[in-house]
Amino acid sequence: MLAYGLLALGLSTVLALVTFNVVANYLTNQRESSAVVETADNAAALHYGLFSSASQCLPNRDRKSNECSGIAPRPNVDVLDLLYSLPSTDSAASMLYYDGQWFSATGRPEDLPADMATAVRAGSEQYRRMKVGGQQVLAVGVPMARPDEAFFEWHPLSNLDNTLRTLKITLVVAAILTALLGLAVGKLASTVALRPLAKLTQVAAAVARGRLDARLQAEDDPDLGGLARSFNQTAATLEQRVIADARFAGDISHELRTPLMTMLNSMQLIQNHCGELPPAVREPVELLGDDLERFRRLVLDLLEISRDDGGDQGSREIVRIADLTRAAADAAAGREVTTVAQDAEGLTLQADKRRLERVIANLVENAEYHAGGCKGVLVQAGGLGVIIYVDDAGPGVPVADRERIFERFGRSEDNRRGIGLGLAIVARHVEWHHGTIRVKDRPEGGARFIVELPAKTS
Amino acid sequence: MAHSLLLVDDEPRIRRVLRLALEDEGYDVAEAANGLDALAALRREPPDVVLLDLMLPDRDGFTVCREIRRTSDVPVIMVTARADSHDVVAGLEAGADDYVTKPLVAKELSARIRALLRRVEPASTPQSDTFLVGDLEIHVAAAEVLRDGEVLPLTRTEFKLLVELAGAEGKVCSREHLLSKVWGYGYFGDSRIVDVHVRRLRLKIERDPAGPKHLVTARGLGYRLVS
Repeated sequence: MLAYGLLALGLSTVLALVTFNVVANYLTNQRESSAVVETADNAAALHYGLFSSASQCLPNRDRKSNECSGIAPRPNVDVLDLLYSLPSTDSAASMLYYDGQWFSATGRPEDLPADMATAVRAGSEQYRRMKVGGQQVLAVGVPMARPDEAFFEWHPLSNLDNTLRTLKITLVVAAILTALLGLAVGKLASTVALRPLAKLTQVAAAVARGRLDARLQAEDDPDLGGLARSFNQTAATLEQRVIADARFAGDISHELRTPLMTMLNSMQLIQNHCGELPPAVREPVELLGDDLERFRRLVLDLLEISRDDGGDQGSREIVRIADLTRAAADAAAGREVTTVAQDAEGLTLQADKRRLERVIANLVENAEYHAGGCKGVLVQAGGLGVIIYVDDAGPGVPVADRERIFERFGRSEDNRRGIGLGLAIVARHVEWHHGTIRVKDRPEGGARFIVELPAKTS
Repeated sequence: MAHSLLLVDDEPRIRRVLRLALEDEGYDVAEAANGLDALAALRREPPDVVLLDLMLPDRDGFTVCREIRRTSDVPVIMVTARADSHDVVAGLEAGADDYVTKPLVAKELSARIRALLRRVEPASTPQSDTFLVGDLEIHVAAAEVLRDGEVLPLTRTEFKLLVELAGAEGKVCSREHLLSKVWGYGYFGDSRIVDVHVRRLRLKIERDPAGPKHLVTARGLGYRLVS
């Protein structure tokens, strides 16, 4: 777009320069030749006045031998009167070198460059730009009939200069306007030409963000139709794959429920009667119980996330965020960990309580079991409405992993710590509430998870 | 005396393990594999609580629940696969008192059963055994609600809810408060349970359930009972 503007500026500048030069040269030539003709006319008139001869002497170089010499001047001629009686023209001054002396109506012969005066008196016609009394003039000199006699005039050039200045201003303005116009045209052209591509970028980005139902509405576009069709096809295939995967995970988890229920209840029975077990099997039973509990969590998480993939609508009700966070965080940590700032007490939002409870509980459990313990949960007003900080005392999350940990079964870069589904569920549910989540370093060490939700004072 | 349960589920393994675990928790457990058996067992020997799986081979749990409600005010806990499916609301509308989700563990289930079987707790003003709300007479000890001298057919949970609201004497009761008082839930009880029960209660105590005069909604806050 800028290129269009620069191109227009360059072109119009070149055009303006060329135009200016051509016009200036032409005008100057015109002015010069008209000045010379005028001076020659005046010289002819003077010649008539002085010699009563209508014939004008040609300049020396064209003159045949002595054609003009030997002409006798008229007696009793007042040369100055003659000079004054010349038709009033635009000439600023007229001077005559006649009979071995200067006659001047206006202007001073001293201002004439010596070499020019000499050259003209020697019989050659001359003109030259010069400055007299601070004014640009064209000095024109023509030889008179007899050798060593010449007539000079100044022709002011202010008119020409004014014209050229006007022309210059006009051209500069025109060049700037053209550049601006070029810029506008460039912008328009690039927008129009690139709009489909911008659209494609937008839709592709949406798909990348997980909005798999995003499609390009350009299948009828003659230029973009093919691309749009294949893009949409790819997106549709991807969407179906993801849905199928989710359904698969959901179905499996669903099928796991019955055996899981049998195992959990049987285990509970066994644990109720742990004292009656032979000592040798008590530890295996304990191990089995712990792993069964982990298994149960995994299945529940899978069910939770496949439920979301299945397009579950959820329910919304007005929830006081401070109360909810307190209840969820303190229960998950098994102790009081929540601090609520004064300004956050009354904040409410439209929320799915169950989902929001999972957000807080998963973050606190993550801190408790995987990151050295929860160092506090703070609720305060700000950001989108309310900001919830969950601090832990773990090693923190490296910058490279700060997106990955919110993905399903995301692992940290060094592949040490499997995260499972807990934080992926958190990210999903926060997004479901039109909130944001990020993780930073906690100033005192450890990680700080920051959830922002659109809450307002009720 | 041990409380008796009727366990309705088509999955034999689930019935077996739940029976074992619940008996271990101290309940008498009877089993039914389908809706028809369940209704028969209910007539033969009325249990204290029915545990009803919504997925049954012969007829769905909602129908069974509605049929139970036609003759009985026995507390019904339904078992659903998913907490936030429409099943929950539909089951509650059909007359269930509470719900649990699979995979369920006897211990949690036992807590829900105990909450449902808890007698109506004395209201906040213990001396008042009878509340008069508009044209309603609520007799706490007799567990009866009368309108124009006629007994209204409330389930036990509906009755508990009504007494709790009446005890608040016109003040707003939040859903959380009602969930904890009537159903024994903590903060994260499903407030749809309250909403559906309020809807059901309105059908019985309001002359115009669509434009309730007594059981009114305080938007965003909860419900209150006014004369």
